[in-house]
This record gives sequence, C-alpha cells and structure tokens, in this order.
Amino acid sequence: MAFGYHGRYLRVDVSSGEAGPVPLRDDLLRQYIGGSGLGTRLLMDEGGALAHPLSAEAPIVFAFSPLVGTPLTTSAKFAVVCRSPLTERVNDALAGSGFAIAAKSCGCDAIVIVGRAPQLSVLVIDDGAVRLEPAEDLHGDACSLVEAKLRAKLGTQYRIAAIGPAGERCVRYATISHDSRHAGRGGTGAVLGSKNIKAVAVRGTRQCEWADARELTQLSRDMSARSFGPATAKYRELGTATNLLTLNRFGALPTRNFQRGTFERAASFAPAELSARYPRVRASCVACTIGCQHLYELDHAAVRVEYESLFALGSLCGVADPAAVLRASSLCDELGIDTISTGGTIAFAMECVERGLLDQRWLTFGSGDAVLKAIDLIGRREGLGDLLADGSRRAAMAIGQGSIAFAPQVKGLEIPGYDPRALQTMALGFAVGARGADHNRSGAYEVDFSDKADRRHATLDSVRYAIETEDRAALMDSLILCKFLRGVFTDFYSESAAMLRAVTGWDVTAGELRDTARRIIAAKREFNLRAGWTPQEDTLPERFLGTTLPGDPAALLTANALQELVTEYHRQRGWTTGE
Amino acid sequence: MHVEFLGIPRERAGVSEVELDAATLGDVLAVLPARFPGLRELMPAGALHSSVAASLNGDLFVSDPGTPLAPADRLILLSADAGG
Repeated sequence: MAFGYHGRYLRVDVSSGEAGPVPLRDDLLRQYIGGSGLGTRLLMDEGGALAHPLSAEAPIVFAFSPLVGTPLTTSAKFAVVCRSPLTERVNDALAGSGFAIAAKSCGCDAIVIVGRAPQLSVLVIDDGAVRLEPAEDLHGDACSLVEAKLRAKLGTQYRIAAIGPAGERCVRYATISHDSRHAGRGGTGAVLGSKNIKAVAVRGTRQCEWADARELTQLSRDMSARSFGPATAKYRELGTATNLLTLNRFGALPTRNFQRGTFERAASFAPAELSARYPRVRASCVACTIGCQHLYELDHAAVRVEYESLFALGSLCGVADPAAVLRASSLCDELGIDTISTGGTIAFAMECVERGLLDQRWLTFGSGDAVLKAIDLIGRREGLGDLLADGSRRAAMAIGQGSIAFAPQVKGLEIPGYDPRALQTMALGFAVGARGADHNRSGAYEVDFSDKADRRHATLDSVRYAIETEDRAALMDSLILCKFLRGVFTDFYSESAAMLRAVTGWDVTAGELRDTARRIIAAKREFNLRAGWTPQEDTLPERFLGTTLPGDPAALLTANALQELVTEYHRQRGWTTGE
Repeated sequence: MHVEFLGIPRERAGVSEVELDAATLGDVLAVLPARFPGLRELMPAGALHSSVAASLNGDLFVSDPGTPLAPADRLILLSADAGG
C-alpha cells in the first residue's frame, strides 16, 4: 500500500445501517489519485450512472486524497461526487476545510453512502465506527445551525458536513455545507437529503505516514512562501468579488438573464462600495495560507461574498442594492442552495414574466425584495418556488413557449458569470463540460483573458488551450489542491509529481500526471455515456448563438462556429462525436 | 495614452486611471513602477508579472513590451486570473 492512503473506502448503507471497509487497489489509486478522480471512478463502479439521482440506490461519494492531512497549503479539501439531480450527468463538487482531515482520519480514503434512512438522521463516523442518530430535532435547520448544534451535542472534535432545509426538500441545486463553504454545484445536497441524511459528522485519529516527510516539509514550506506572493494577491486582498468590475469592463458581466454584458450599476455592489458600507474581515479554510474568504457584516451576521454570488444575485437579476445582494447570498447559504443556479433560475423566471410567459408580476428585474421572496419560496418549495427548485431547464420545459432558448443553462446546470459571446474559448468550455456549464472544471476564461486567443473570435487554435485548463483542473481537483494556488506553480505537473512522490513513494512523473488528468476526464465522459449523454448536449442555448451581445457588435458566436470548436475538441480528446 | 487599472493593479496603484506618454507597452511598464511604487512587484524588469494581464482598448490582450501604442489607445491592466 502506498503511503498517504488507508487503502480502503468506507461503504455505508443508510437503509440498514450496515457499514464496512472496501479495499482499494494500489493501481486504482495511482490511476485516479483522489478527490474528483477517485470519486468518479467509485461512483461508476457503484452503479451511479444508471440509478436515478434521488433514488435510494444512488450512491454519493465523499472522496479525500493523499495530500489531505499533509502540511501542503490548501490541501484540506474533499470532493462530493454523485449523479446530479439537476443534469443527470456526473457531478463533482468540492469544498474545503477540516471535514476532509477529520473524515480521512477515520481510516478511509472515501466514504460511499447508499440507501435511504427510515427517518431524518445524522450519519456519525467515530474513528471508523458508524452509527445513525435521529435528527428530527434538526429538521428545517440552516446549515450553520446544524454544525453548531451537532458539535455542541457530539463534541467539538467532530467536523460536520450538513444540508439545509433546501436539501431536505430535494431542491435540485441544494448544497452540502461545511465551515461556511459549500460543495455547491449540481445538487449534492438534494442527493444527501433524498437519503434522509441531514448531516455527516466525523472524527478520527488514524494518520497516514508519508514516504519522505523531510522532502514533503520542504516542499510545503516552499509552496506556502510562494502563496504569499502576487500570484494569489487577488484572492487574499480583494477576493473573487473584484471580478465584478473586470467582467463589466469587458462587456462579459451577465446582466438581466444574459440580455446584456454590462450592468450600469455594477459599481454599487463592487468590493470598494461594500467595504465602504460594511465592516469586512477575512477568513480561510483549515490549512490554507491564502485566506480568500471576505466576509461583510450585515444585520450582525458575517456574509461571505464571492463573485459568482454577486453576479448571480445582483446583475443577473438586475439588482443593484448591495444590502439586498448580501441578504440574498446569506439566505442561499443558510438554506443550502447554489447561488449560481438560484440566481440563474430566478433571472430566467424574471424574463419569462417580462415576456408575459409567467403570471407572477411581483417577480421583476431590479427588485431585491423579489429575489429574496423567490429564494424563500425555492427553499420551501412553495408556489412558484416548487417550479424554480427544479432549475431553469425543467422550468423552461414546464413553461414552454420557446423559453428554453433563453434558459441560461448547459446540460441543465446554470451558466456561471462569464458571457460566452464575449469570452468564446469559455463558450467552448461551457459547452463540453461534463457536469454542464462550469467555470471550475474548465478555466478557459484564462485563455480569453490572454494573448493566446481573440476572446470574441475563438479559432480552432483555442481548443488546445481550453483542453489544457480542463486537464489541469482535473488534476488539481484530484490531488486535491485549491485552484487559487494555480498561479504559484512554475511547472505545475512537475511540481505536483514531486509532492505526490514525497507523500506516496510512487515514482510518479509529470508525464504520468498528464495522462492521469486525461484519464479522469475520460472517466467522466464514460460516466456520462452510460448515463445517456448525446452529442446534442455539448452546445449552448439558442440565445448565445447567432445574435450579437447587445452593445458589442463584435461579440457574435454562430452555431456553426461553436460546433466546429466542439468537434475539434472531441477530435483532440480522441473521441468520436456521437460515440 | 490612457491606462486603466482593475483588480490588484488598481489596488497597488491607488488610482483607477492615469494619462501617460508612451509609445510602446515597454514604455508603460518602465514608467508606471516609478510613478506608483506599489506596482513594482507586478512589473519586474520591465515585463508583466504572470498575475497581470494587459488589454489594448478592451480588445486583444498584449504582453510583448515592443507592442506599439497610439496616443488615443487605452491600456487596461488587470489581474490575469479574472475568474473564480
């Protein structure tokens, strides 16, 4: 068995309460490493591609990695992998902090949960010993409250991953939350909620040994030192929220359900304005030297602000009131729902109202109160909220009248804050994303913001760059290291290989890790093929194809141009379109 | 010509924009750190640090110090990793 691993995963059937270790072969660990890669492999092996995402049979995987528990900065992360109830395709969502370390300390490299508990329960894993505890007293509780209550009840050594009320009600984009971070996209919280599991509580004492502790310590020191430099300054000093004005300046800030690429009042809720209005503090995940979390105090509570939340609950809904945007973000966090899908679905409904396709006159662009009301209804699945809780694609199918053309989604997953007409390499990344429109599994926007490509006229040359960002993300999500660290590497694959050698003892090379990244991407595609993927899914909604972005005549992406990019992407991946 | 700052370059410069006389990108990268010492780390040895990107008039991105600039040009300096 390699160092850095326990060599087994813990399989728990919450229907019966039965649990036990399942051995993991050394060669499989080396092929998929951990996190997204290992999680995808285990999900497939457990039959996750064929089970309905919200059925008792559907597995959900919490996957750790060999780097978890090491002194390497940003390595305290875990992946939650399942078939998405939103897209019905593979879904891997990552979150940071102490849960990863505590769960791995239970003596396993992953936890696979199947079944459905007979009542709302907490899955408690105490150093590998598994039990289910009733959780009716937690029914309806917000994510942060669940963590506080369980640590008070079970002990402060426990680390908790929990769902909010939205997860209990199987909102299809519900999250799993830990330490104010969220495994946010694709509805992991709905899958856990469908199993009647309100939270997973873990503590443990089992540490892995490292192959070369001295080398690992040196690598960790070096990486930490570099993490204080300019490559991470944006995250440390400003947070991702600073993207708001940048995207607005380049006409790529999704506004009023992607009807425009600029928002005239963007500055009103940009970081400078927020800092002027509200006290700000910084926080970080466990074992992180970057500290990217910027929290603003509103109504005596600390509200975490990220760019994706600002755009989705602000400009996308036409809302400029900073207090409303912060309250909306906070409400999403407490209910446990993905802010991107929430904002995207509400903005879609607002446009439906504007076009007379939906009789909900209160739901208008620009109204912060309407956004807050809609979020509350979604969290309770009441009235219109029951429709919106299923995401924009299903809402469009129900509303009909051609509304699917402007539902802001790919494969059912709502589009993040980058207008694909203004950032066309990112358009390709969105179209081919295994889990749908995705800025975390493809960093193609980096290509658009570089001299490698013309952002408003992507060519076939852009494709290999898009693939490079996707491969790098696949490896980072499997090692696992935070992507905010990506700028500090001078040779990402070689440096990653050095870390993995020091931890595991494997004679792994940069070349091997490039192959590993591609293997992980291929595994996600294999999952999707088994789950029913068709080539027609690798595209964008009609809105983005063939018409210019208002205000920017150069921002035009035709259906043919996108199809050529997608076809070339499949060719370079070695995949036959339609295979 | 005109220089706009976004993200960390704005934070370091302390202003959102400035007027300069510069014929090339290299001229800009030589002048700015002298005028705004906070930018030195982002423009080492007359080049752009990898964490900074430069866009000419909001269209193409440029990095070659020899890139010519016209008096009416607007150069935007921003944090390179514009995503999350």
